[in-house]
Amino acid sequence: MTELNRRGFFRTSAVVAAALGGAAALASCAPKTATRTVLRVGSTTDIDALNPFTAFSTQAYDVFQLVYDKLMEYDAQLNLQPSLATDVEVTEGGKVFTYTLRSAVKWQDGKDFSADDVVFTYLLVRDNNYGTYGAYFKELTEATKVGDNQVRLVYSQPQTLDPAIIIPIVPKHLWEGVSKDDLPKYANEKPIGTGPFTFVSWEKGSVATVARNDGWWGPKPAAEKVTWTKFGSDDVVIQALRNGDIDIVAEVPPTIYTGLKDASNVTSTAMDSFSFHMIGFNCSKEPASKGNRLLLDQSVRQALSCAVSRQQLVELALSGYGEPGADLLPPTFGDFHYTPGPDAVLDNNPGKANDLLDKAGYTERGDDGIRKSKAGALLEFRILAIADTAVDVKAAELFITAAKAVGINLKLSTTDADGMGATVFNTEGPDWDIMVWGWDSAFYDPSYLLGIPTTDQIGGNNDTFWTDARYDELYAQQKTTVDKDARIKIVQEMQALHYAACPYIVMWYQKKLTGNRSDTWTGWQPINGGMILNFPRVNYLDVKPA
Amino acid sequence: MAQYVGRKLGYLVLTLAAVLATNFTLFHLMPGDPVTHIARGQHLDADAIARLRSFYGLDMPLPSQFITYVAHLFRGDFGWSYTYQTSVGPIVAKALGNTLILVTISTLLVIVLGVGIGVFAASRRGTRTDGGLVIGSLVFWSLPTFWVGMLLIFVFAVTLGWLPIAGMFTADAVYPTVFTKIADLARHLILPTMAMVLVDIAQFVLISRSSLLAVLSEDYMTTARAKGLSPRRVLWRHGVRNALLPVVTATSLYASATVGGTIQVETVFSWPGMGQLIYLSVIRRDYPIMEACFLIFAVVVVLANFASDIAYRLLDPRVRLT
Repeated sequence: MTELNRRGFFRTSAVVAAALGGAAALASCAPKTATRTVLRVGSTTDIDALNPFTAFSTQAYDVFQLVYDKLMEYDAQLNLQPSLATDVEVTEGGKVFTYTLRSAVKWQDGKDFSADDVVFTYLLVRDNNYGTYGAYFKELTEATKVGDNQVRLVYSQPQTLDPAIIIPIVPKHLWEGVSKDDLPKYANEKPIGTGPFTFVSWEKGSVATVARNDGWWGPKPAAEKVTWTKFGSDDVVIQALRNGDIDIVAEVPPTIYTGLKDASNVTSTAMDSFSFHMIGFNCSKEPASKGNRLLLDQSVRQALSCAVSRQQLVELALSGYGEPGADLLPPTFGDFHYTPGPDAVLDNNPGKANDLLDKAGYTERGDDGIRKSKAGALLEFRILAIADTAVDVKAAELFITAAKAVGINLKLSTTDADGMGATVFNTEGPDWDIMVWGWDSAFYDPSYLLGIPTTDQIGGNNDTFWTDARYDELYAQQKTTVDKDARIKIVQEMQALHYAACPYIVMWYQKKLTGNRSDTWTGWQPINGGMILNFPRVNYLDVKPA
Repeated sequence: MAQYVGRKLGYLVLTLAAVLATNFTLFHLMPGDPVTHIARGQHLDADAIARLRSFYGLDMPLPSQFITYVAHLFRGDFGWSYTYQTSVGPIVAKALGNTLILVTISTLLVIVLGVGIGVFAASRRGTRTDGGLVIGSLVFWSLPTFWVGMLLIFVFAVTLGWLPIAGMFTADAVYPTVFTKIADLARHLILPTMAMVLVDIAQFVLISRSSLLAVLSEDYMTTARAKGLSPRRVLWRHGVRNALLPVVTATSLYASATVGGTIQVETVFSWPGMGQLIYLSVIRRDYPIMEACFLIFAVVVVLANFASDIAYRLLDPRVRLT
């Protein structure tokens, strides 16, 4: 048929050469990048919105931390330090907060910042029960300007969490024009704050950029720009870090983290976090609940808790990057963290599990040695985990084996995060038995995590539908107890109660695993909760070019 | 012909209407709802949740939600994104643009290279070259796209350092001219395009090869050769042209599939296109974005089929006009 003649050969060769040459030329013409002046953050999640009151992603939270200021902020040790306020005076047993404001501060659009902006922001959130933060200001009775540079917040109850740390201050002159009805969908496309960086752009699904605000009141950060780039998968984001395309990855999965330790010019750091993962039981007593009623028996839950070894879960499911769990508050909360006494421990004790089940009357066994209730129902439950969360799926598998050993049969199914939320939080008839999931504290204060199993949070955060009148009472009490020692005592009692009742098996407190380039920026400070995507913003402000 | 086109257009409209209704119902029947997603972990009380629900119209019965949706659609309003808190139209338009840059180039390459290789293989039927090309393309076809993508990243971006790992542009780049920006885009395009071409080319190699082989054994090919035409002319003028019909079908199917079928490539290479947008919207139950995306896919598929119907008629007058 056709033969490749000499001309054809030359022609083909020329085309191939041109293609290769073109590719090589493109490869060599990489654009100039401003490494060492731009701080590049990589992650697999995108920011979701630019309205600081209604956005949800942690990436968005970091953008707001740099564009806006709060009245107070955290340092690397999580102590409060002045920010827009230079001083705070707390009076009337924690009910009244008087802030003295920094003077000569300007908004990024050139207008002067004043006490009116602060009052406006607090009332905006309180009066509209606005977004994420509305619930924190229900007890705020008064927000007023005192003189020219002071603001006073008055609460009906003492506050354990300084309100200065909760919300960023937004400019009155830009926000007062937004009508009440438009607030929920206000996109705030060009955020203007008083913070150390100004908002530049957000390419949805790709990259967000902020640039240094040279008119900021504080010491000038070394980074001229900060970018947050979204990558498609954990593997790719880590390759980008190894390659030097980004400077820091705040959350590295345990499975990848071990391999990262050998990478050149990459430093890996494991920090304690404010999170836990747990196995939760459907404790709903509502007639509409479709959960297996045998789980309402505390002995069954306690037996399951005794059956499994938390140490083993940490080692096998979490590759060792965490601490075995106890109750709601991780050790990062210091003295608030609870450790059960020797008699109270419900962990890694299959003998005790069998005793508990025998005593509660689950002595008969069916096929395969599965225990039965007195009424003849098999101790057989469904367990649900999020397919993408590999550590949870692995933990569920280990839990199934442990439960089987004490005569309880579990069947695993998986879903995505939203399917999980819809199933677990379905107040109209929760159709699940056991789930594996986790929580991350939204604030550096025990109330957030402690609040999960309260009766008030049914329909909100209460994911097991477990309630206890005494627990609710103690919760309300600790929330207004400003004296730390007294509060620790209450919080300890609450957790002991919750631990013994076992609506959760808190499996572990996982580490925050971070990887950062050592050849671009130095001076990264390890912080409880992570170097970035955390309560303090100090690392963005303090790192220096390598 | 006008009547034929008219009837096809009628079917097109009917199909789109059905798609619209199915899309809407399907997504709203999925387990999970955006408000539980938003409320999770945000300390929202029942009041706030109810207000969110009513704000997004999710408290209305499904049929009236549907009517509102269609009414807005006719005004060119695709709705309000739950997660991005802004109109859906511009978000989807931007993602579609990004996807089109990627799929136009890779589709052209897949078709041109695929048909070229197919013809080349057919003209060397039974030789080692033929066998090598067929087996080679089959091997790549059977590989998972994301794996090929990871492999390309590992070789060309991480090991050799020639090309960027991901994204459309270098995040912190300084562009002196618009050409350097285009060059940067081109650099970012190479790996995802390679991944798509490597995996998808087999379809066109195999289709064009087998179709051409069938044509080559026709009598009129012998006649053409007997007339003393050059082998090249016989192959391209008489062979390839007649073998093109199945390729047209494949092209229309392929083009419509790639608009939505690039999820894997876009995810691996962090390309901010439709695939990634859909993936994120499904995870976040962002119904308005999902509905808009799938509506666009449906429109593309239906239009591509319409176009191929017309192209058939033009390529082959024997196609009946009924």
